[in-house]
Amino acid sequence: MNGGRGTQSPLTSRQAVLLVARREFTTQVRSRSFVVGLIITLVLFAAIALLTTFIAGQSASKSLGVTGGATALRAELEHSARAQDVTLTTRDVDDAGGRALVGSGDLDALLTGVPGDYRLVGRDAVDSGLAAIVTTTVAQQGVRAALAGAGVDAAQVTRQSQVTTSTLEPVDPARGQQLALALVGTTLLFFSLSGYGQIVASGVVEEKQSRVVELLLATMKPWQLLAGKILGLGAVGLVQLVILGLIGVIGASAAGLLTVPGAAAGMFAMVIGWYLLGFFLFASLYAAIGSTVSRQEELNTVVGPMILVLVIPFILVANLLPNDPRNGLAATLSFIPFFSQTVMPARYALGVAPLWQVGVAALLEIVAIVVVVRLAGRVYRNSILRTGARVSLREALRG
Amino acid sequence: MLDIGGVSKRFGTLQALDGVSFAVAPGEVFGFVGSNGAGKTTTMRIVLGVLSADSGDVRWRDAPVDAEVRRRIGYMPEERGLYPKMKVGDQLRYLARLHGIPAAEAAASVTRWTERLGVESRVGDDVQKLSLGNQQRVQLCAALVHDPEVLVLDEPFSGLDPTAVEVMSGVLREKAAQGVPVIFSSHQLELVERLCDRIGIIAAGRMVAVGTVEELRTRDGAGRGRSIVLDIEGPPAGWTDGVSGVEIMSAEGSRTRLRLHDGVDDQDVLRAAVAAGPVHEFRRFRPPLTELYRDVVRDVTKEAVS
Repeated sequence: MNGGRGTQSPLTSRQAVLLVARREFTTQVRSRSFVVGLIITLVLFAAIALLTTFIAGQSASKSLGVTGGATALRAELEHSARAQDVTLTTRDVDDAGGRALVGSGDLDALLTGVPGDYRLVGRDAVDSGLAAIVTTTVAQQGVRAALAGAGVDAAQVTRQSQVTTSTLEPVDPARGQQLALALVGTTLLFFSLSGYGQIVASGVVEEKQSRVVELLLATMKPWQLLAGKILGLGAVGLVQLVILGLIGVIGASAAGLLTVPGAAAGMFAMVIGWYLLGFFLFASLYAAIGSTVSRQEELNTVVGPMILVLVIPFILVANLLPNDPRNGLAATLSFIPFFSQTVMPARYALGVAPLWQVGVAALLEIVAIVVVVRLAGRVYRNSILRTGARVSLREALRG
Repeated sequence: MLDIGGVSKRFGTLQALDGVSFAVAPGEVFGFVGSNGAGKTTTMRIVLGVLSADSGDVRWRDAPVDAEVRRRIGYMPEERGLYPKMKVGDQLRYLARLHGIPAAEAAASVTRWTERLGVESRVGDDVQKLSLGNQQRVQLCAALVHDPEVLVLDEPFSGLDPTAVEVMSGVLREKAAQGVPVIFSSHQLELVERLCDRIGIIAAGRMVAVGTVEELRTRDGAGRGRSIVLDIEGPPAGWTDGVSGVEIMSAEGSRTRLRLHDGVDDQDVLRAAVAAGPVHEFRRFRPPLTELYRDVVRDVTKEAVS
């Protein structure tokens, strides 16, 4: 027979898994979506940073026109604006001219009238921050007038009603940066896990839908195919994470935004570690769920709940931790598998989770991975060749 | 010898295969025919180990087919089974590697087979950019790149143009000549008849007939009588009345088809024909596979009803 057959040697499991992983890796890295995804993520991060600065700048500067009867309040208004971190520019105008400027948008609002009957005029709405400044100022002026009328020294009253804030522990000067690291790290983890989990699921469906899986399974066992796919795509996600992380850290350091390289490096390592743990957990779930449907169109409805599991801890971190790093709910979730990979790194970055807690959470996640990988492998094995109607999870587990 | 021995498979309440047995010898092209849902694809998937049988076994060279043997089978699934967004060349090399072929040899084999099947100019294109016919050629390449010992092809001819059918037929015969047992399924019965050494007919999960076309013709042939095709110029009406046990089945132009009951001597019929008019042709009717298939399936359906 043919001479070629002599050199054909059986594949070991390792070789099969590596061949699959290499295909997944090269196909994904060479695909346009990888590069585009990377660029979009970078642009997104830059846009968020710019937008935050822009919105902050917007709200922090206001302009107010003041007519004759109210000009006495100008100094007072600017003073109380400063107390609220707002830059207020006031301008003397006459009533008609002021209204015209408000109408054209050159002024945010116009303060007119006389003491006892002030009116604040806006174009189609009065900025609530501006209204608050004006209201406070007018009220203070009224109180001062009343105090003066009663023969009390207003300045003394002010001095006696000061409140000083202080903390038991010294305020960490790097708190802002820690928070930024925590949020950026969490966001990166969220996007990497949900993004690459989704790619695993659609890859599984692609093989099932195109029936190429039949050819593949004639040469290897389902677990080898699944393992290769998860390893290959996980590696792509890792590469992307490292690229984004390095660009972020180097960029922020160069811009002088990052002055705590030690904390950044620690968080970087933490994000990578938790990405790997989270990826194995979620990718096997995504693969199992993907294997139960036969067409890409059906995929979204079944992965929806999975995305929710990833979104919840992400939203909690973004909303709870900035003002309350020691939040009890977040602390609890940071130990629970499926949530820990998003919450624990953020708590670590904020300096409220010692390393032993990180270790315990990682251990629990590994236990979950062992259990989930077994179940997912079972579902995958029992569903991957069943085309047509969606395979119910119960059926697939029993198989 | 590739032996499929008493293979049964049940999907829920459906008995998809019920004791399916047949064997394909090295160098033999075996045509597997049957209506949709009869069990062809299920049988092939079981041979490939893509599905597992509830009972029965598949043996190659007297040993059960295991993962090792399966790697040396060339398989073409019914629906195209390729990555739509992967380049033809990359894909074929990858599949060859999965079958245990070293990289350099895989590349050479891909070049050889894409040239043989006329898709060598498309190796750099994504599979989804190819026409269905070309995808089918690539699919056959995928079944051949690892130089298989056994070929199992599910509907390899569907959707092919006549040129591609010729190329595909040539490749199958060539592989068989090298000693490879080739099984393929098809609904194109004329093609099966022309190409196959032996044929298996499956209906409702059971093999109802296996053999060469000639064997299928003589299968319970006694019961149905022999048929004769006769080319005779203008015979008078009722010319067969003189010979008992002869029925005229059809008469179109000068071509008449007769059925002879048991015990009728065909030479008597010939003599009567010569007496009736000039005879240009007189031969035993050899029903084409389409007719044999129709009869076999009809008999099975009758049995099932009664």
